[in-house]
Amino acid sequence: MNIKRHLALTRAGVMESLQYRLGTAVTLFANLIYLVLVYFLWKAIYASAGTDVVNGMSFTDTMIYLILATALFNFLEMFVVWDMSRSIQSGKIILDLLKPMNFREYTFWSYSGSHVVLFALTFVPTFIVVMIVTHGAIPIGLNLLYFAVATVLALIVNFSMEMIVSTICLYTESTWGINIVKETIVLLLSGASIPLAFFPETARKIVGFLPFRAVYDIPLTILLEKNGTDTIEGLLPMFGLQLAWALVLTLAGTLFWNYSVRKITVNGG
Amino acid sequence: MENAIVMKNVCKDFKILNRHEGLKGSIRDLFSRDYKTISAVKDVSLEIAHGEIIGYLGPNGAGKSTTIKMMTGVLEPTSGDILVNGVVPYKERTKNSEHIGVVFGQRSQLWWSLPLIESFRLLRDIYMVPKKEYEEMIELYRSLVDIEPILHKPVRQMSLGQRTLSDILSAFLHNPAIVFLDEPTIGLDVSMKAKIRSLIQGLNAEKNTTVILTTHDMGDVDALCKRIVIIDEGKKIYDNDIDHLKTYFGSYRTLRMRLSDDTWEERVIDESKEDVMDIIMKKQKEQKIKDIQLQEISTEEVIKKIYEGGN
Repeated sequence: MNIKRHLALTRAGVMESLQYRLGTAVTLFANLIYLVLVYFLWKAIYASAGTDVVNGMSFTDTMIYLILATALFNFLEMFVVWDMSRSIQSGKIILDLLKPMNFREYTFWSYSGSHVVLFALTFVPTFIVVMIVTHGAIPIGLNLLYFAVATVLALIVNFSMEMIVSTICLYTESTWGINIVKETIVLLLSGASIPLAFFPETARKIVGFLPFRAVYDIPLTILLEKNGTDTIEGLLPMFGLQLAWALVLTLAGTLFWNYSVRKITVNGG
Repeated sequence: MENAIVMKNVCKDFKILNRHEGLKGSIRDLFSRDYKTISAVKDVSLEIAHGEIIGYLGPNGAGKSTTIKMMTGVLEPTSGDILVNGVVPYKERTKNSEHIGVVFGQRSQLWWSLPLIESFRLLRDIYMVPKKEYEEMIELYRSLVDIEPILHKPVRQMSLGQRTLSDILSAFLHNPAIVFLDEPTIGLDVSMKAKIRSLIQGLNAEKNTTVILTTHDMGDVDALCKRIVIIDEGKKIYDNDIDHLKTYFGSYRTLRMRLSDDTWEERVIDESKEDVMDIIMKKQKEQKIKDIQLQEISTEEVIKKIYEGGN
């Protein structure tokens, strides 16, 4: 472990992301359109429900949740699978494998810089706007600190899932379909497109134990102090789930990757 | 000191699915267990000393890249032993990487949107090069090539030549014991080729770096390599210095004579059987010879003959 190496990769990532200002601007604009769509969709849902509160969430709650989920998505979204499949097809992956660093660490820290930039450029502004518009519907306190911890764990869980799918791509070579399936599952089951509160009781219970929730639902729940996360007793199971999945997926992903790379070095790629 | 690279009876087989043609065939392939084994490298033994520049040649598909991948640790040999700097590369790929540098033809390891100097700094940190050594290396680069115009230029704005130059510089940055250069001069203009050759020569002389060079450009070979290894169909077919290569098929020379009617007559002479002077004298008795040229057979011609399987 050498922290200087890792920070050097983060630094390069920050500089690289900052080169693509236009891309970030376009992302922000696309989000705006998406959020307008979400606004009217949920407005209609609430209007037809006939009550102000559906599944324990008011319209404002739902909107805050979904807007922040979108912002979080923009910042957590990774392109490991795309990048990896490209570099496998072009053979560039050899150059990455020949760095004197653990490949997984190298990849993770290479992406870290863009997360830092996107956090500052997409999540923070969205958060501030939501805070001002809703006049203090978001509590400000220790929850911000807990949210930061939960987000780092979410990042690790998300990265592990990406790496596992990337490893599958070592075998299939075609990645498009697999990646679309993965993204759809994550977006649906993590609460990024529909708050988990709206899921039927049984489905919600099952999804509650799956790793997808650790990426979007848990950080947001903690940030908004829902489901008893304003107390330590409410927080611990959340962090516990994230931590458990982060460990399990990291371990599984590492084993799977090492096994696959070995197989490829034996059979040729 | 022991050799930089030792390979003993190295073989590499690949298992490849037998593909069938057409839509029906493609569907059948999904369930097929019909594999065939291809031997890419057959029983290659090789010893390379520190500080050598080796020309590693062979026609396309001969097994050059496979051998290099085994030396770097990306591929595991099916049988045989490889030691690179005393390390078994595929077992300790990460450790091995600390002491090797690679340039793979058209692929770049540089950070695309950043200026070259940032890639250098990043590589310095990744390879944990001490500050002093790093600065000495940059000084050495300055003395060998004019790096100022490219140092602060983003890699994506570079010409192919500048980028290749940058990639070679970054492969040498952590002062590795061995550098693998896979077709470094591909697609470059004459002056850039010359620049890159003198750079490689300079770095090899200054740092005693072992260089394994694969190329199809005999100009590279003539300029850089004292020793040549040729591999064809996975087998090593030549391993000696470049001067011996010219006499590989006997000592041939081409004699060209301009005759009285201004036409050139050309003859390939095997000097072990005939004498050049005899032929000229004999000819001169028949008619007047205005001019004579005697040409050495070029490396390119010998290599071409070897690739085409001449004996």
